[in-house]
Amino acid sequence: MAATREVYWNIEGEHWLYLLFIFALIFFGYGVYKRVQLWKLGQPENRWKDVGQGIKDIIVYGLGHKRILKDPYPGLMHFGIFIGFLFLAFATAIITLQADFHLEIFHGWLYLFIKLTSNFFGLIALIAILVAAYRRYIQKPDRLDNKPDDAITLGLLFTILITGFLIQGVRIATIPDPWSAWAFVGQWTAIPLKAMLNEAQLLSLHRFLWWFHLVLAMAFIGYFSHSKLFHILLGLANQFMRNRGPIGIPELIDFEDESIETFGKSQLREFSWKALFNTDVCLRCGRCQDNCPAYLSGKHLSPKRIIQDMKVLMEETGVALEAAKEKATSVHADGEAAAASEGEEPTGRALIGEVIPEDDLWACTTCRSCEQQCPVFVEHVDKTIDMRRNLVLMETRFPGEAQLAFKNMENNGNPWGIGWSTRADYLTGVGVKTFAEDPGAEYLYWPGCSGAFDARNQKVSSALVKLLNAAGVRFAILGNEEKCCGDSARKLGNEYLFFSLASENIEAMNGYGVKKIITQCPHCYNLLKNEYPQFGGKFEVIHHTEFLLDLVKSGKLKLSRAAGKSVTYHDSCYLGRYNQIYEQPRELLKTVGLSIKEMAHTGEKSFCCGAGGGRMWLEEHEGLRINEMRTDEAIAVKTDYVGTACPFCLTMIADGIAAREVGEQLKALDIAEILEQAL
Amino acid sequence: MAKGIFIIVEQRNLEIRKVSLELLSQGRKIADQTGDPLVAIILGQGIDGLAATAAASGADKVILVDDAKLADYTTGAYTSVLNKIIRKEEPQAVLMGNTAIGKDLAPRLAQRLGVGLASDCTGMETDAASFLVFKRPIYAGKAFEYLTSNVRPILATVRPNTFALAAPDASRSAEVVKEAADIDAADLRAILKEVAIAASKRPDLTEANIIVSGGRGMKGPENYVILEALADVIGAAVGASRAAVDSGWKEHKFQVGQTGKTVAPTLYIACGISGAIQHLAGMGSSKFIVAINKDPEANIFNVADYGIVGDLFDVVPVLTEEFKKIVK
Repeated sequence: MAATREVYWNIEGEHWLYLLFIFALIFFGYGVYKRVQLWKLGQPENRWKDVGQGIKDIIVYGLGHKRILKDPYPGLMHFGIFIGFLFLAFATAIITLQADFHLEIFHGWLYLFIKLTSNFFGLIALIAILVAAYRRYIQKPDRLDNKPDDAITLGLLFTILITGFLIQGVRIATIPDPWSAWAFVGQWTAIPLKAMLNEAQLLSLHRFLWWFHLVLAMAFIGYFSHSKLFHILLGLANQFMRNRGPIGIPELIDFEDESIETFGKSQLREFSWKALFNTDVCLRCGRCQDNCPAYLSGKHLSPKRIIQDMKVLMEETGVALEAAKEKATSVHADGEAAAASEGEEPTGRALIGEVIPEDDLWACTTCRSCEQQCPVFVEHVDKTIDMRRNLVLMETRFPGEAQLAFKNMENNGNPWGIGWSTRADYLTGVGVKTFAEDPGAEYLYWPGCSGAFDARNQKVSSALVKLLNAAGVRFAILGNEEKCCGDSARKLGNEYLFFSLASENIEAMNGYGVKKIITQCPHCYNLLKNEYPQFGGKFEVIHHTEFLLDLVKSGKLKLSRAAGKSVTYHDSCYLGRYNQIYEQPRELLKTVGLSIKEMAHTGEKSFCCGAGGGRMWLEEHEGLRINEMRTDEAIAVKTDYVGTACPFCLTMIADGIAAREVGEQLKALDIAEILEQAL
Repeated sequence: MAKGIFIIVEQRNLEIRKVSLELLSQGRKIADQTGDPLVAIILGQGIDGLAATAAASGADKVILVDDAKLADYTTGAYTSVLNKIIRKEEPQAVLMGNTAIGKDLAPRLAQRLGVGLASDCTGMETDAASFLVFKRPIYAGKAFEYLTSNVRPILATVRPNTFALAAPDASRSAEVVKEAADIDAADLRAILKEVAIAASKRPDLTEANIIVSGGRGMKGPENYVILEALADVIGAAVGASRAAVDSGWKEHKFQVGQTGKTVAPTLYIACGISGAIQHLAGMGSSKFIVAINKDPEANIFNVADYGIVGDLFDVVPVLTEEFKKIVK
């Protein structure tokens, strides 16, 4: 006899479950409909771009939990619940095929496989749910906030699992079969049940539990689209629709287009449907907040809160529009009401200022750790920049310090306002030719404003020049024709200023027929490489760490090794998270014989120096100083150097070292300066 | 026919600000050449006593607008009143200081009057061809432009410390006219409730002729007394670098630099300041820079006109003693 069991054993009137199922589906469908209506408040955007890669992402990030598991404790907990319900869903599907579609498959090895996996993984899920409850309600990590939905969902899942095991236990206690041992949890459960209850009691208990379990399962389906359970589908959908390729490229504004009346975004409905969809995808897991330098240093900003506050506004907007529509139909003035609802927040609450404090928008360093850690690819930073754009371009409302930086960039093409005609002076002083003098140069060397003007970073430029000369590279600079790349301006929302700087730079470079660019600044690097193509500047852009490593590997650059010193490498956000350059700087450090120790936050989880997103030019009024927190991490690993690969990072870490008065034991040096010592 | 050079005189706590007196001094010289009357307009409450000061500094006529609503500067009320007076009097030129108030008021007035504005000027002359020619630094002081206008009135703000102060002549008298404050209700949008200012008898950083500034080398807030002693002897303001402000030794309002105040005094004495580019951006256009630093490699020496390599705790007290002998 093949291993199997009777599906509707001891049950009568099982066809009622179809009615329940229909009710559940109606509730489910209604929930989906409601949410879709809310998402449709947003603007159109095509996110159906790369199906193949989308499916791969679902497999890697969804089923594979790639990002979720990076945080092992909650990651494993989640995986436990996930894997348990995955196998249980499989079991339910097979039973449905057998019982409702009369496919005779629920027997033999498949029956035994289902019995075993449901028990094993179901038990894991049960344990994981207990861990989740313990973590959420007893440990109470800062990053979690509790809503009734969290408790209902955990309770529902827990009860479904417990009743499932009890049903199995009662059945095994009543009619044991030769395969009971495969259902080991059910078998354990059967022992006390058999000891306590007689057969009639067991049979009636079974019937009660069976219906109870069924009602819960239907509740699960009905509740699904009204609760956090929805993330099971929305999360996968968001992984499918994620932005690929270079991250964080702000939307293009066409300043020539005279029909555009507003710039940036100040209202919920100006965002794309995907931005609104994101607010529903967010599970409030708090990984973003837990890795946000602004939040961790005591600023009010929390990426999670921004998304959640937008979600609340989205729901309020839905309700308000509904009410406005009803009112309009009752007085037969649809057109008028529809017109009134255009162009203003129907809730009467302003997105900027009332829902999201302006300070929150300015506190962001655009380090994108929030997005990097988010398992479901919620996009936080682009929204921030959209809102900054509105404040700068429409309202002229931004931190006072930014005004000086903007003015200086405008007048002199650098944020400090140093005379534009002196930009070339330092580098021509160390013998570098301009493109005008050497039009045949293979590479354009782009020192950036820091490398050209700032005394500290000029040392990095001079080190790099020596290294390039030692390797026989033919390069030249734009000299006084170079201007600020515009990264800070763009990230601070001053798109117009950025646009004029970028246009002039691109014109100058195209004029000389520049093809390849070497730069020591990750902000210039990212902008020139990933954002200038929006404006017709298509160049091969190489960061100096990439380039130097190539020179070392090809043998063109010969460096000596000196053992004994140690270094910790501070990942620049714009190099690491923006451009996935994590290894090249570390390899270079190893090449010259340094031993590398990693800080508490490193690689993808690296902690921003505090200067990104134009924060370099703003004061930090609230909480701790981000650069000092990062410097403390560097001090803690007790190395001789902090290696940097970004002029802003170098400035910020050097400031941190000065503030902590540890200059005797710890030096901040750019990779190029460290390599220069090994020439 | 438009006539008269009008100076909008700024007063604070019933005292005329230095920049307004400078404008009256220079305005007097120009009025003498062009034959225009020099008119001072003063807004405030209980300002009768200021008319004599304005007259002594060169005004031929003083227009006083005395009203409780004008006791403190508010953008709307001042714009409303001045717009009406200027439209009525039709002067040739209206000048004010390029101060916080001037920067706020002048663009609004220009808009209301429908005229252009020469802002932040560092010179003002008259010649045969044009009534007034203004000098403005552009490209961060790398070049100057000279502006004039055919439209009347010519509106301009002038940077403090641009003109020398003439000695007041107490024997001068002026015609004093009182105007009622006619403020449009629509312009009264803000009401000043309270002004919280930290008391300091030293000059404002942005107005000071001399600034003594301390950085990380100060080692602690208590050591600022030695800078203050020096500042008080030479009538200087005290400033700080970002490092010192970050360390909590000085309030942010004393910060000189990229994210603090931008200053351009005649003399800037930098004590224990390394000269990071962020700091230079705020004080690089000072006329003379004196740097005192232990570290001969410090970047501040690259921009300083005079450098003293030494411990500021030794150097500053010596300077204070020596200045005491010179400045009586």
